Amino acid sequence: MKGRETLSNRFEDGVLALLPRLRRFAIGLSRDRSDGDDLCQMTIERALSRRESYEPGTRLDSWMYRIMRNLWIDEQRARQRRSQTFASEEAGVSIGAVGGQEAAVEINDVDRALTSLPDDQREAVLLVMVEGYSYREAAEIVGCPVGTLNSRLVRGRDALLAKLGEVA
Amino acid sequence: MSVTREELAAFADGELDPKQHAEIERAVEADPELAREVAAHRALRARLSAHYAPILDESVPESLAALLRREDNVVDLADQRKARSGIPRWGWIAGPALAACLILALFIPLGSAPEGYASQQIATALDDQLVATQPASAPVRVLLSFHDGSGAYCRAFAAAEQGGIACKDTQGWRVLERLDGDNIKNGEYRQAGTVSAQLMAHVQEMASGPALDAEQEAVAKGRLWKPSE
Repeated sequence: MKGRETLSNRFEDGVLALLPRLRRFAIGLSRDRSDGDDLCQMTIERALSRRESYEPGTRLDSWMYRIMRNLWIDEQRARQRRSQTFASEEAGVSIGAVGGQEAAVEINDVDRALTSLPDDQREAVLLVMVEGYSYREAAEIVGCPVGTLNSRLVRGRDALLAKLGEVA
Repeated sequence: MSVTREELAAFADGELDPKQHAEIERAVEADPELAREVAAHRALRARLSAHYAPILDESVPESLAALLRREDNVVDLADQRKARSGIPRWGWIAGPALAACLILALFIPLGSAPEGYASQQIATALDDQLVATQPASAPVRVLLSFHDGSGAYCRAFAAAEQGGIACKDTQGWRVLERLDGDNIKNGEYRQAGTVSAQLMAHVQEMASGPALDAEQEAVAKGRLWKPSE
């Protein structure tokens, strides 16, 4: 079916055009470039395998961000489980390794301040203040009420203002 | 009046409805401390977006782009063999001068269309072809249709190694964006899918809403692509 073929090309082209933005969000969420690109890759693979559930004519960017965000949450949970097991066995080694890696990466004030935020607040801050979504759009991506998004955002940005000083 | 943290942030972000916005605006004007906080919120936003902006200008890793090109079925095999990496940088449109000879050949043939308007072949495709039903072998492929900020109908198209975006006005299809041979001669951007991706990036900036679906396109064609009142 030719119509369908055209549609499928448009889907891939659309995702391709979104890649720079998706990378930005992925790197912001994972606080690390190579983790961010891994997250991007998982997101693309998931999107391609679930393309049937994308409704043409609706916003592809929000759809992709939602996939990325959910994958990232899953990954965080899996990581927490792993690190709990790991830490109980050889906490000293694990902590030393993480510290060493961090020292090798140049981290500036903004990165440091963002890293200190709880995940839900960082996510809200990134979606609204970096990706430029409205509160309603960001809440749809996260899957929470607008009021919840708003209060996470406010707590996150107050914490950032306190850390970074109020003059940018 | 007392202003909550949430209201103040939403005010700084332009998220309040007009009535609330006016209320907070009055409070902010009357209170230098609130005004300072609003400025701090806006400065923070500017600082965060500046912090992440450089990522948009980086080339996307080939490993990521390749996932999306693997199933690309728009180009013929000869082109596919020649196609290589080379994901366009985001700012391509502001980049080097375009190759004038190709533009002339494609867009301004022998005075049949006013300067800056699509040639007969392209205009015919833009008038007649619908994305959902056009033949895969059509020399000019329409990629999608959308409304620009003014409500005019615009369509992105690709023809061989060239493409563009045109919007309909009273004189015809005015070509607003052109993509042509500047990068094609080195073989890097041959792949039709990549040309389309570059156009899509631009469509996103121009479009005032989602692309038209098949039904909306058919309606638009029926009204000869004239904007609704």
